[in-house]
Amino acid sequence: MFKSLDMTKPLIVLGLGLGLGLSLTVTAMFTHAAQFGIGETATAEQIEGWDIDIRPDGKGLPEGSGTVEAGEVLYEERCATCHGLFGEGEGRWPVLAGGQGTLKDERPTKTVGSYWPYASTLYDYIRRAMPFTAPRSLSDQQVYDVTAYVLYLNEIVEEDFVLTKDSLASIEMPNQDNFFIDPRPDVQNKRCMENCADPKKLMITGTLKGITPVGHFVQGADAPAASHDAQMEKEQEEEKQRKASITGEAIAEKHAVEAASLSELALAGKTTYEGACKVCHGSGLTGSPKFGDSDAWSARIKKGMPVLLDHAVNGFSGDTGVMPPKGGRVDLSDQQVEQAVAYMVESSQ
Amino acid sequence: MSKIIKGPSTRELMEQMVQESEHLSISDRRDFLRKGVAAAAGIAATTFAGRSTAAEINKTNLPPNEPTWGKQLGHGVVEQPYGSPSQFEKHVVRRTVPWLTADSIASISMTPLQDLKGIITPNGLVFERYHGGVPQVNPDEHRLIIHGLVERPLIFTMEDLMRFPSVSEIKFIECPANGGMEWKGAQMEALQFTHGMLSCCEWTGVPLRVLLEEAGVKPEGKWILAEGADGAHMSRSIPLEKALDDTLVVYAQNGEMLRPEQGYPLRLLNPGWEGNTSIKWLRRLEVGDKPWYHREETSKYTDLMPDGRARKFTFVQEANSVITTPCPENPLVKPGFVEIEGLAWSGRGKVKHVDISFDGGVSWVPANLKGLVLDKSLTRFSLVTKWNGQPWLLQSRSVDETGYVQPTLAQLREVRGGNSIYHKNSIHTWKVAPTGEITNVQIT
Ligand code: HEC
Ligand code: HEC
Repeated sequence: MFKSLDMTKPLIVLGLGLGLGLSLTVTAMFTHAAQFGIGETATAEQIEGWDIDIRPDGKGLPEGSGTVEAGEVLYEERCATCHGLFGEGEGRWPVLAGGQGTLKDERPTKTVGSYWPYASTLYDYIRRAMPFTAPRSLSDQQVYDVTAYVLYLNEIVEEDFVLTKDSLASIEMPNQDNFFIDPRPDVQNKRCMENCADPKKLMITGTLKGITPVGHFVQGADAPAASHDAQMEKEQEEEKQRKASITGEAIAEKHAVEAASLSELALAGKTTYEGACKVCHGSGLTGSPKFGDSDAWSARIKKGMPVLLDHAVNGFSGDTGVMPPKGGRVDLSDQQVEQAVAYMVESSQ
Repeated sequence: MSKIIKGPSTRELMEQMVQESEHLSISDRRDFLRKGVAAAAGIAATTFAGRSTAAEINKTNLPPNEPTWGKQLGHGVVEQPYGSPSQFEKHVVRRTVPWLTADSIASISMTPLQDLKGIITPNGLVFERYHGGVPQVNPDEHRLIIHGLVERPLIFTMEDLMRFPSVSEIKFIECPANGGMEWKGAQMEALQFTHGMLSCCEWTGVPLRVLLEEAGVKPEGKWILAEGADGAHMSRSIPLEKALDDTLVVYAQNGEMLRPEQGYPLRLLNPGWEGNTSIKWLRRLEVGDKPWYHREETSKYTDLMPDGRARKFTFVQEANSVITTPCPENPLVKPGFVEIEGLAWSGRGKVKHVDISFDGGVSWVPANLKGLVLDKSLTRFSLVTKWNGQPWLLQSRSVDETGYVQPTLAQLREVRGGNSIYHKNSIHTWKVAPTGEITNVQIT
């Protein structure tokens, strides 16, 4: 699987010489200073392309600046489908704004504004991972703009704020001082073997009675979809609205009931659809035809299965957006994509 | 025994419930789960009574008859060039709780601890946690760059990395959110869901120390940023002390190259520390003088306390343990001898003792540690006893070599409240009914 070594390269000798000489200055902190002379010197150019991290003191920030105004346009185009127009989070997608003053509540809302200690983290994270379906697709300039806008949504900066290399590092986040280093072990149990508790005082609570499950169903473990600020009522209301507005999920539910009418090919495609296609087609993200929406699909279906399959496998740029080859999941086989297309088409007629 | 597992038992029901509830609203889901749990409990009880499976058994395969497979030949070699488990073990799979996250690309699945033996988790069953799905990385095109406060920034190919002298070590890996759904109350009627964000493998690779020596860390270097090559570009700050101690740069698990789900072709492994720090698809290590405070060490993986302040850099997975037989998926089948078994582990070193309580923590008896007892590894414990239909409140409690004793839930809650999500390592309780059915309860 790996190519064989090229023994003619002078790098081993060079590496040894260089490495040994320099390592003398740092050996004090290591137990031994073995140098294998393996690996090549990374060039400044190689490093620059991958060195994307930002620190709270601004180290790593590229040149440039961004405005709330430009950020708003970009946010509404590229972020709002998931995170909501005001950062309130659509469905179970992460909430980005609000929640200030809730950290001591029964159900705290942890957002950029209420929880994050540093503004640099926002630039860093958007640059490395967002938008979710197309990471590393924004320019440094765009990241400045949209970072400014998310800070604005959290009322951390004013409307006319200009985010620059320097101004970003100087922003004080509201919750900055409220993090402290892990003090564990923080509890001390004893290895008691007899009469360790009073049997009469034991309170036993199961999953069927006792404590009402809160939080878990919304936030769960380290689930990203932290819509904690929502009180029960609000959640239900949102849920209702979401269904009423005929989202992918509501329709998926309807179709789950009708699943019996799907062909075998289509049924086999459900898993692939859910794992690889639903992220866009479930809600109509980025201009994709929404699952179950017959209006969005009828003209497309008329093109015929072979065309649709070709577009799904090889990618397609039509009037509404860009369908990446296999939805960006090149690991899928053509057959899996075919099954998924059948599932989508049959469920959207 | 296997028949009980394969019938429409608790686990299938749980799974079905979980799937069916995916599209329900929050309160509906809650209600659904409760009803579902009741149904599952009912089924488990009938399974226990031995009725549901008898009909499925083909008597002509039982003595004194010669079974079908004794009267014909099986398939030959390389019918399956890469073998897979028996068709009768299809139920032994990773499972997820879909409503935890918005989609399956940034989500988590759990290891079926209830079905595993020994301490090693088979590669296909290691729990999954992705933030941007599983990338398909071509090893010939994968690189690791070490740079920052180093004398010589280096770039390695996979071939380079595999030329270094290698080490192989058995270590557990656990998501710090393991059990985190149960801070406020018992939620899950299945071991897989209460403790399954936990696996243990033999990992092969190069100590990070060796690579850092190769690059030469400058004296100001105190922290390392590790970064993945996936779409999430997962990143964590790791203190240099740990990096020079036991951190590994890993390319193989349980004897074969890493699985894509586990970071193929290269990952970091920080033994005993929260799984998130063991960056998968590792592509970059930068040495710096301060931590970076990235999203996964601020927004996530910080532990919120009742006073509204939060703990940061909560790296260690403290001593923990759980009983795996019996558990909701493995009810007690017959009165008589029973081997109570479970797993114990500590991110601070070796497990020293495990004690078992049958009465909800009033009195305890020491269990035996079975097989290998290794540093920062799963350790299996066992106690052979008799069960004659008496109700039990079964608990296990581990003590590690630092003397740390696994705490009670009340002790943890008193200090940390109910919103800290991570690092819930409290003593777990299974309630054993006279029918042998097992349910998840909390004792306070
Ligand atoms: C397809 C849905 C989607 C789109 C579009 C999207 N995101 Fe996200 N976003 C997510 C998901 C999912 C996560 C959590 C990922 C994880 O768990 O690692 C997330 C996380 C975040 C977070 C961190 C939230 C937290 O509390 O930790 C920020 C900030 C963010 N996104 C900003 C953006 C910005 C800015 C854009 C537009 C440029 C964007 N997102 C577009 C789905 C989306
Ligand atoms: C990143 C978002 C995204 C993902 C993921 C995605 N699609 Fe698409 N898809 C689109 C968009 C946008 C369009 C509409 C393109 C247009 O018509 O302009 C589209 C269109 C389509 C069409 C119609 C093509 C046509 O000729 O009209 C099919 C079929 C399709 N997708 C199948 C799939 C399948 C199957 C998957 C999963 C394997 C998938 N898509 C995943 C965004 C996506």
